[in-house]
Amino acid sequence: MSALLRAELLKLRTTRTFVALVAAALLLSLLIVVLIVLLSDEFSKQEAREIFTSDFSSLFILVLGIMGLSGEWRHRTITGTFLAAPERMRLLTAKVLAYAAAGALLSLIVTLSIMAVGSLLLSIEDKTTVGISDLADVLWRNLLVAALLGALGVCIGGLLRNQVVAIVGVLVVSFVVEPTLVGLAPDVGKYGPLLNAPNGIIGINAFSDDKPLDEAVAVLVMLGWIGALFALTAQTLRSRDLV
Amino acid sequence: MAPVEIRELTKRFASVEAVKDLSFDVEPGRVTGFLGPNGAGKSTTLRALLGLVRPTAGTATFDGRQYEQLERPSTHVGAVLEDAAFHPGRSGRNHLRVLAVTGGHSQRRVDEVLETVDLTSAADRPAKGYSMGMRQRLAIASALLGDPQILILDEPTNGLDPPGIAWMRELVRRQAADGRAVLISSHLLAEVAQSVDDVVIIAKGRLRARGTLEQVLGGDEVASTEVRAREIDRFAHALEAAGHRVERNGDTLLVLGVAAEQVGEFATREGVTLSYIAPRGRSLETAFLALTGEPESPPADPGAAG
Repeated sequence: MSALLRAELLKLRTTRTFVALVAAALLLSLLIVVLIVLLSDEFSKQEAREIFTSDFSSLFILVLGIMGLSGEWRHRTITGTFLAAPERMRLLTAKVLAYAAAGALLSLIVTLSIMAVGSLLLSIEDKTTVGISDLADVLWRNLLVAALLGALGVCIGGLLRNQVVAIVGVLVVSFVVEPTLVGLAPDVGKYGPLLNAPNGIIGINAFSDDKPLDEAVAVLVMLGWIGALFALTAQTLRSRDLV
Repeated sequence: MAPVEIRELTKRFASVEAVKDLSFDVEPGRVTGFLGPNGAGKSTTLRALLGLVRPTAGTATFDGRQYEQLERPSTHVGAVLEDAAFHPGRSGRNHLRVLAVTGGHSQRRVDEVLETVDLTSAADRPAKGYSMGMRQRLAIASALLGDPQILILDEPTNGLDPPGIAWMRELVRRQAADGRAVLISSHLLAEVAQSVDDVVIIAKGRLRARGTLEQVLGGDEVASTEVRAREIDRFAHALEAAGHRVERNGDTLLVLGVAAEQVGEFATREGVTLSYIAPRGRSLETAFLALTGEPESPPADPGAAG
């Protein structure tokens, strides 16, 4: 398993995709933080804390995870991958773990960067700053969400082999379906895997006045989604003939 | 136990029977040509052997074990499939590095196989810039990475230019000379004939013949005849008009399925002076055509293999 995991991490490091997505997530997250700090008036302590949840790494790692498996079909490299690692269940597990690790790393880079820049700007603007303990609290939550979404992305990419369909699909669910659902039926919508359950982990309340899921429950919900999609993907991979 | 054993292999896709009751072995130190026209079931058989498709019935094993049961499979089997593909943004060297990590091979081995396939100078370029020949060399390097004793090559000469084909032929012979069992599929019979020791011929998913090259090349059909003549075009037209099949190769004519004596008599009747006439044994091409047509009799089994 460790060899497969190292191979998947090496795959990530040997194309430009990961670097490009880190750069894009970093630039977008920094832009949002700078605009919020400069264009808003005074913040409450909670609002100041929420600035640092503007971490776009989650969305990017979700897309990266999708590309991690669906890309094997897109580039027709899946045959070689299965020849090198014929136990498909172990391969899927390695990919899930690799993209969870990549998600955490990407989020670490982005979150630390926006915390450094944001805190500096808040001080310069003489606005409410966030203490180290609160920053640490935001950091681990962001990392956890990114890791879980990286794993979820791999499973989605294994189920929907068409990369474009998979990416457009998760964007529609993230930006349209889940916000709408949590507004109309919050008791159901808060269990959504791409936006609302992650918000429960981060501890923010978007698109609804209702309280989000408790963080421990939100983690279990995410793990449940990952487990269910992992099982479906594993079954699909096991039974699929590569012709 | 042979390194590769296929026993009563059957693979059905919905209502289509791609492979039916196929059995043969591949022996060490020999190159086995796996021949058949397009759609004969060659790739399906190789994919079943490599665990990429699940057989409907029968078995396909390496030293008695299914591919997915092999510990570090790259050290047992190296495979080049027809659709060998690489991530376009990843260099050839990094492609091999990934495989080396997966299979537990050293980075030094990556350099060695790059050298073997003469790809060292292009190893750090993205694979999207590789020519067909370079891609095929990279696929071969991937297969050789674990120094396996069995090589499975599916149509490895597809898309290669003549020097590339010659290189592949030499490489295949060298691997067999080193004691490896090599199974090479092709529909390009002329290319394979110079490389193989044994042949397995299939059509419509069923075995048609197997045995040594000589055994399958032989047979009881009427030999063909090779002739040269000054009026070669007129002679070719006359033969065709008389219902004979001919193949033209430069100034040489191969009259298929007609003995030299009959061809000589025919030339005399037509007033054509022959400058050369020689009987020729049944070519693999002829055998192939005869064997892969609609079966009129049970499959031939001239060899003892299997």
